[in-house]
Amino acid sequence: MDYAIEAKDHESIVRLRGRLTFNDHAKLRTLITEMQGSKGKRQILDLGNLEFVDSAGIGMLLIAHEEMGNADKQLVLRGAAGQVKRVLSVAQLGKIVTVED
Amino acid sequence: MATAAPLPFDALQGAGLPAGWVRILADGCHIRPAPPVPAPASGPDGRVLVLLGGEEDAADSTLWAPPYAAWVEATSPATPGRHPDDSASPAGVLPAVTAAVARAGHAHLFASLSTATANAVHLAGRVMAAVSARRSLTDAQRDDMELALHEAISNAVVHGNLQVAGMKGLNVDALDRFSHDLARRMADPAFAGRRVEVSCWLEPDALTVDVTDEGSGFEPAPKAGATPDASGRGLDLITLLAQSVELLDHGRRIRMRFTL
Repeated sequence: MDYAIEAKDHESIVRLRGRLTFNDHAKLRTLITEMQGSKGKRQILDLGNLEFVDSAGIGMLLIAHEEMGNADKQLVLRGAAGQVKRVLSVAQLGKIVTVED
Repeated sequence: MATAAPLPFDALQGAGLPAGWVRILADGCHIRPAPPVPAPASGPDGRVLVLLGGEEDAADSTLWAPPYAAWVEATSPATPGRHPDDSASPAGVLPAVTAAVARAGHAHLFASLSTATANAVHLAGRVMAAVSARRSLTDAQRDDMELALHEAISNAVVHGNLQVAGMKGLNVDALDRFSHDLARRMADPAFAGRRVEVSCWLEPDALTVDVTDEGSGFEPAPKAGATPDASGRGLDLITLLAQSVELLDHGRRIRMRFTL
């Protein structure tokens, strides 16, 4: 998985690309630290170019959600398609994290 | 599960193995050796077994298309994923290779890779490419099967063979601990050299897939309580995606069945 961050005053948009699996633990850790340190209240993960996510990827998104809450920020998952949209739905992530089309 | 009678292979081919190894290993397995690429001529239902010399060879997508139907990594458990030296003898890997090839003969598709290689090449995607070449699947069917297979292989890799515990709790400390344990075990050939095996049986209207590991097994435990964890969703996802799921051999084998 790779990502690019576009930070604005009120929100950050993080565009994820590739596969998000248990192998991406170190990248997710760095990303969470970067989001914690950015100014915006809303941290939007744009999943439009993410090709594949697994249960560990879902778990890591939940960690990001929890850590943003602790930092008084909101995590938003946006634009999931195909396999990623299917997994978010099967794992019922929308019950815990804000999911936008 | 096994086919009623062993399914013979038309040929055995080496990919990335030292010169001279293929003939010796093919003789040991009683299969006709074929010269390396291109794929030997074989009918539409041909079965060629390929012995892989390492991670790079396992990452070659042309080797996952028909007539290739079985993939066995022929590396030493001490150096998983790495090419054997030209000076090395095939005698050291022969017993493990012949045993894996015998198991391969009882499935329609079969892969036996080291933990390191299975993880590096995204084994679930490779196996699904081989299945898709033989059965017509919708994108949704393929996505669901690949995810279920990926979850089963990830469990075999992380919890089975590497014996790394899941992420407890929902915080970056859990993530750090997981990162540390995973990296340490993946760097240790005693763990990363253990095998992950996938066997597939293709019926006209169903696909059965077994994934096995060489870990110490587990007993499925009821969910502990109210505290949510970042890990522990894999088996639940598989149960939602497959028509049926069985845990066998004390959790070292998972059998999933999908209706086509």
